Order: sequence, then C-alpha cells, then structure tokens
Amino acid sequence: MRSKSIVMDRVCRVEGHGGITVNIEDGKVADVEMRIFEGPRFFESLVVGKTYTEVAPILMRICAICSAAHMVASLMAVENALDVTVSEQTRLLRELLVQGGNIESHALHLFCLVIPDLLGHPSAVTLAADYPKEVKLGLDLKKLGNTLQETIGGRAIHSVNAVVGGFGRLPARQQLEDLKEQLNKGLEQTLVAVDFVSSLPVPDFCTSPNIYAALASNGEGYRLFGDKIVLSTGDMKEIGAYKDVCNETVVPHSHAKHSRFKGNPFMVGALARIALNGKTLSGQAKQLEARLDLDWFFGNPLHNNIAQAIELLYSIENAIEIIDELLATGIKPEKPAEVTAGPGTGTGAVEAPRGTLYHRYRFDEGGRLTEADVITPTAQNLANLEKDLRVTVENSIHESNGSIASKLEMVVRAYDPCISCAVHLLEVNFK
Amino acid sequence: MEKPSVGIYGLTGCAGDQLAILNCEDELLDVAGALDIKFFPMAMTGNDEKCPLDIAFVEGAVVQPEDEQMLRELRDRATLLVAIGTCAVWGGVQAMKNEMPREEIKRHVYGPAGKVFETMAAQPLSHFVKVDMAISGCPIEKDQFLQAVATLLHGDLPRLPTYSVCAECKMAEHPCVLIEKGELCLGPITVAGCKARCPSHNRPCIGCRGPIEGANVSSEIQILREKGFTWVDIQNRLRTFAAEADPLKIDSLREALNAQ
Repeated sequence: MRSKSIVMDRVCRVEGHGGITVNIEDGKVADVEMRIFEGPRFFESLVVGKTYTEVAPILMRICAICSAAHMVASLMAVENALDVTVSEQTRLLRELLVQGGNIESHALHLFCLVIPDLLGHPSAVTLAADYPKEVKLGLDLKKLGNTLQETIGGRAIHSVNAVVGGFGRLPARQQLEDLKEQLNKGLEQTLVAVDFVSSLPVPDFCTSPNIYAALASNGEGYRLFGDKIVLSTGDMKEIGAYKDVCNETVVPHSHAKHSRFKGNPFMVGALARIALNGKTLSGQAKQLEARLDLDWFFGNPLHNNIAQAIELLYSIENAIEIIDELLATGIKPEKPAEVTAGPGTGTGAVEAPRGTLYHRYRFDEGGRLTEADVITPTAQNLANLEKDLRVTVENSIHESNGSIASKLEMVVRAYDPCISCAVHLLEVNFK
Repeated sequence: MEKPSVGIYGLTGCAGDQLAILNCEDELLDVAGALDIKFFPMAMTGNDEKCPLDIAFVEGAVVQPEDEQMLRELRDRATLLVAIGTCAVWGGVQAMKNEMPREEIKRHVYGPAGKVFETMAAQPLSHFVKVDMAISGCPIEKDQFLQAVATLLHGDLPRLPTYSVCAECKMAEHPCVLIEKGELCLGPITVAGCKARCPSHNRPCIGCRGPIEGANVSSEIQILREKGFTWVDIQNRLRTFAAEADPLKIDSLREALNAQ
C-alpha cells in the first residue's frame, strides 16, 4: 500500500480551533497528531499581581461552556489558599450551579454536535427538518441548564453572582420552587431524550484499553466534587497532588500540553466518571445505567456520549435533590464568609462537563497572586485522544480518506474537546 | 427578499459569544431559518470558507498572525462586519497586559516551547479593519444579538445603548454600589445593555462591556481615590476588559490622575 497523508484543517462542531494530521507510510500509521492552533491568551500571566477577588472573574473566561466549573474551582482554590470556610448553603448553591453547567454542556454536545453525526446531518438545524421533536427536546434541556446557571449565577455564561466566600444575592424561595418545577418537567423530557440517544448505534471502530481518572466523591452518592483523585489503575491521590496524575509535557504540534500518568495517556470526562463512580448512581440514572448494561471498560471513546446521557439524568435528579434540601432548611440570609487577604497556596478541583479541572494559586504576604496553574480536562485528554485517533486509523487503514476522516471527526467529537480551555498553557513552578 | 448570507467566526477568545448565540434556544431555529448560514463551524459541518457574505459576525481578538490574516480576508468578503463581544470590540481580558513585551510573557508561560509560534499583543478588530457594528459584552447579551439580526433583516442597524450601566442601575433602583457601599464599581463609565447585572446581585460593575463614549474616567478615578482604593487596584479594575480603549490606556490614566 502506498503512503499517504490525511490533513484536516478544521474539526467542526467542537469548541475552538483544532485540526488533525495523519501520515501513513508503507501501509502503516506513522504519525497521528491533533493539532491545536487556537491563539494563546497567557491567562496565568494575566492574574499575576491581582487580589483574590479578581482571580475568578478573569480565569473563568478561559472558557464559556465550562465557565461555571472554572468559576467554582477558582473560588475553591482561593478559599483553600486563604483558609476560608464556606457555609453548607454556599456549598449546595455551588453544586447546583455546576449541575446547571453540566446539563447545558451535555445537552449542547449531544443534541447539537453528536446526534447530527449519528444521523448523517451537518447540523442540528438541518436535523430539525427530520427530527423536529428531538431537536426541540435537546434545546429545551440546554435551556434548562442555562436557566439554572442564570438563576443561581446571575448569568448563563460567566456568572456574576458567585464570589469568594459565598454569593452576592441569594435566590428567593419562589425562584427555587420555579426551578424545581422546570427540572421535574425536564426530567420527563430527559427520559424520552436519553432513550433516543441510547437507541442510536454506537460504532466500535475505535476500541483500546483506557486508563480513567476522576474525583472520588467526598460524601455519599455520585458527585462532581471530591478531595481525592481515583484512577482505574487502583491509584488514589489527594487533589493537592494533581501534578502526580497530570504530568504535562510540551509537544511541538500543539499549543496545549499533553498529560500522562506514569508515562501513559489517560481519559477524564463523563465516561471516566461513570466507569469509576457509576456504582454510586441512584434514582433513574442508576436504572438507566443498569438497563444499558454497557462495559464501560471496553475502551470505546464513543461511549462517552452515552455516559453524558446518563449524567444528564443524574444532574437533573441531583439538582432537584439539592433544591429540596435548600427548601427544607429555608434559604438563610447570609453574607459571603469573611476573608483575610494574605499569603497562602491552595488547590480547587471540580468535575467539569469534560472531566477533572484543577486550579491552583499562590498568594504573597500582600495578598497578591504570584503563581497560578490551571489544568483543564481537554488538556488531560489530548494524549489519550491521539492514541484513539491512531487506533481509528489502524482499524480503517484500507478505507478511503473521506471515510477515515469522518471517523476521526467522530472520535474527536466524542471527547467533546474544549480547545479554548486546553490552550492556556500554564507553566507550573510550584516548589 | 433573498435570505442574507451569514458567517459566524471565532478568532481568539472563549467562544462565549458564539455560545450566547446558541443559547437563544427558543429563537435558534427561527434565526437559522431567516438567514442563510454559510459558516458556523462551532455548530455545523460543511462550511463555505470562500463565498461572499452579506454579514460576518466575528468574535474574539486578534492575537496571532493567523487571526489577522483571517480577519482581513473576511473583511474583503463581507458587506457588513459585526464585532461581537468585548474581545472583538475592545481586546478583552487577554489585552490586559499588552504593555508587557510578548517575548517575556511567552517565555513566562511556555518556557522554551514558546519559540515555536508567533504571537502579538491582543487587539480589537477595529485596529485592523473597518468594523460596521459593535455589540460588546463579556459575553454579549443575547437580546442584543437578536435585535441586531432583526434590524439587519430589515435593512437597518440596531439602536444599542450609548448610556452607562449607572443609568440602568438607577432605573432599577438598586442601592448605589459605588457611593453608598463604597465598592470599586465601574458603572458610571461602562456601556449599558446588561440591565446592571452585577449591581442587581449586590456586586460592583467590573466593566465587562467596555467604556461608553466620552467616559469621564478622571472623575471615576477621583471618586475611587476618595473611597480609599490604591492606584494599583484602580488601574487593575479599569484595565481588565478594555485596556485597548483610548481612555483606559496607561498613558491616558496617568494623564487623568495628574489632571486632578
């Protein structure tokens, strides 16, 4: 077989600018590269010299789709550094905000980006001609996630209301009751939607062993927060030691670094979470997971789409539980916790829609930030994504370039990459 | 009337303005039906990269030569070029430290690997090409985007607010964050359109929508100094989102301070 190259300049229906290059020599895959050429924005330099109040509003702008997760991880890192304890109410409201982000992101990804693929359409708009009900359903769910973020965070993208120590304005009882009503309606819609998603065929042209990583929940049940990182290798790390998991290296073809654990690529995101923590699911999400009866360790990245569908259900059910808890105790009128600016180093971690997100800062004696480090899920996934792209090419090497290219795009999209997020390239220098 | 051909582009940014468009869930299918969308790679495949366009919506700032090249090509192809979001209109957060030499900032962030690519100080679109309409906001308010589409469909330009966040805040009767609470609020010099989101959440306006025309920055600085804020903190806040705007450039701020 002759040698050939497949060069895709732009992968569509993902957030940000990325391309793929494949070189095949003498019938063997020589190189597979996910090229990332989103412009760099130097976020870590931007926040140097800022006070603790300024950090989160700047760093959540790394990414719009994951801004709620960035915001909360950032606030937690600041609070960890400055020894601030927040109230139980603040903790619950933050979890609610993060669930809103998860619902919006998963609904956008599944209904606007992935399903058109599986049904042979270029976009959700053309898909709407053939599947008007399903597209409307997806948009309704996406809106539900946004309504949650708007109500709790004050804005659907780049929250204005969550601050170090708490919230600027607390939601009124009526607002929470309205949210609950919409979530209950959303739950019914989601059941229909996930049946639709899980009825679609999942091609298996890309399977290989995967290492998964996710936060291990602090409390009971499936959670998007935790103090420990659990890996499918059996390893467990404190979040403060996240760098032992995400050893970052610079690669020449990408503006984003690659992460490896003990020399191996690994995967984070909904698939990793369900594989590692799926047993802790409850309610309808648990029933769905059991009904699907999939082997999450099969190593097919396209299962990430199904895992997101399960999480859509989970996030809605969990949001309802959180609201019930808040309604039961009543919203206490409280101001954000007192903060004393000063020196300190702290880490915050959240399961963002695409996987574990870490923020780590150091403040000096004068209370100004001296160092920041942000490790995004997409940056962690890039090495594993390249592994899966290689597997895909190896399994379809005799097919036409067009056919290989469309499979590669499906794999990239299954990872739901957020390229803006991946390109921040923070040089880490904590000693 | 034929549907106008439209492209939705992202230069360097967080994609929040494109996401704000996708967040028009109730209107999305109608908007898509009223326009002939030729290019929107964040949302569709099969994009036309060469065709002439009636309207190009462009998000993000110019931070690398590729951004500039794309923007110039786009200007040649588009009848109307609309800047969406504070990055496209003012440079955004990434322009915050434009005064630092690029080589230094690159070395700081990337180490030796920074050598492999070229980068430039983050600039708004208007530094390179003529911009026909600017919708600022970090992110844009979706109402303003929908209003822009509706008026453009009728051959007109939308009437966007030229007054300050302060005006919207007063109309909503929120307690004054700057005068009464003494917080570092940029409401008096920031362009309205957000319905005073931050003050309505008991938070100071941080200027994410960029300055109004004829902003009285000198007076803003005077009030903030009277309230006891340090010059460093005042500058940091003023230069978070629109450091490339003339009245907020370092030299302009020094002048404004010295004039007092």
